[in-house]
Amino acid sequence: MRPHGRTVLSAQSFRAPYHLSKPYWDTATGTLLVQVVNPTAGILSGDQLSSAIRVDAAAALLVTTPSASRVFKMKTGTASCRQAFHVAAGGWLEWMPEPLVPHRGCSYRQTTTVDVATGGELFFADLLMPGRVAHGEAWEWNQLCLVTTVRLDGELILQERFAQTGESLRALASLAQSGLGACFGNAVLITNRPPDDSTWRSALHALQANGLWIGVSALRRGGWSIKWVAANGVQLRQGFRDIRRILAGAFPRLACDPRKL
Amino acid sequence: MTSAPATNTDAAWLVGLLQAGDSFYPTGSYSHSFGLEGLVQQGVVHDRATLREFLLLSALPALRHTDLPLAAHAWHAFGEPNWNRVGELCGLSSALKTAREARAASENIGRQRAELMANLRAHPLAQEFLRRATTENWPHSAAISAALEGRVLGAPLTAVLAGISYATLSSLLSAAMKILRLGQNASQSLLTEALAATPALIAAAEATPLEDIGWFNPWLDIAAARHETADARMFIS
Repeated sequence: MRPHGRTVLSAQSFRAPYHLSKPYWDTATGTLLVQVVNPTAGILSGDQLSSAIRVDAAAALLVTTPSASRVFKMKTGTASCRQAFHVAAGGWLEWMPEPLVPHRGCSYRQTTTVDVATGGELFFADLLMPGRVAHGEAWEWNQLCLVTTVRLDGELILQERFAQTGESLRALASLAQSGLGACFGNAVLITNRPPDDSTWRSALHALQANGLWIGVSALRRGGWSIKWVAANGVQLRQGFRDIRRILAGAFPRLACDPRKL
Repeated sequence: MTSAPATNTDAAWLVGLLQAGDSFYPTGSYSHSFGLEGLVQQGVVHDRATLREFLLLSALPALRHTDLPLAAHAWHAFGEPNWNRVGELCGLSSALKTAREARAASENIGRQRAELMANLRAHPLAQEFLRRATTENWPHSAAISAALEGRVLGAPLTAVLAGISYATLSSLLSAAMKILRLGQNASQSLLTEALAATPALIAAAEATPLEDIGWFNPWLDIAAARHETADARMFIS
């Protein structure tokens, strides 16, 4: 955050396969928009991705990706991704990558740790497709493990471990009648504002229709978990746009358009 | 028969576990459906067949990957006792439940169970746990308190995990009988089938490292979240 009131990238360092886009300052929302680009075809066996993002006081940052992250078939070996986010008091971070698409036979582990200081705010989202549905491929990964840990002022307030087999998810999707193309969205909202969700929670719940499931629940303190299941990728993305649009009424920085870059 | 005869010591912890696992024991679990009512409201679970699928696809994996390994680690931590680890496990247990009602159910049942152990048995381990939980603001947890019960009673780990499995499954099926057209024989047949799977789950849970604890069913979490604001409901969770 500079004296002129704009957030800047005060320090950056990256190497292949990552590349950082030139940032864009969104005047309307007071948010710096940055894309993390992986110019390779996707994630391959042996890849060990690592990233860390820190948002200082009074800074506001939206980080996104330009396209889905494909995790390719692995005859042997695995791939991993470690990502760490830190938000200082008074800072705002939104993390909203395009969906993860695990291909048939891949083995992938993603570990995300989020540390927010009291007074910091965060909107973190992860989207997961069941595979290359257009090719008739769904739930056919070898191993998939997505672990997300969120601490508020050092206190553990959320830990989720998504490590189901494709077979078990396929069966659960069938039980819930979500179909073979079911996609998952998982978001966490951390805020220092009073825990009043009356203005937006019912609006989010009202999105549930035509195969879209959505539920909002308060975390132990300091935020909410927002989960949604869509019947396909189009509905997954539309649901996410609707969630951001509704939440933007209470959290105006969520009105920042991630496609301005 | 070549098995060793049960001793009086075995009988002492066994009757204690039976008491703690009985529906007569005032833990408050009878007022929770643990998300099942939400799934019934969403139309996912609506008869014996879909309830069976839910038990096999969701309830048993949740036990296997979350409550049983949490209790196993807590049982070891209480044995030392390693209070830092106990506190860490209490926090983890709460953080693993993103649906508020599911978290509150576990915390309320866990608190009640710990207080009962401290009051009924006047056991120093339970009293010290309650003191630390209060002063250090640890969230209570049904799984952690079950491990505490095991240590207070002197029960072996496998028996403690078996008790948790039985209490979890019987509570779910008891709730199911109130919200579905399900008779006692049908629910007992489901309970028998689910219990048959528990020895393998218990063995796997005992070997689960701390970093591998956790599992969730997205549809259950969503249904549980929506249940919080449902217009009508029978259960607290």
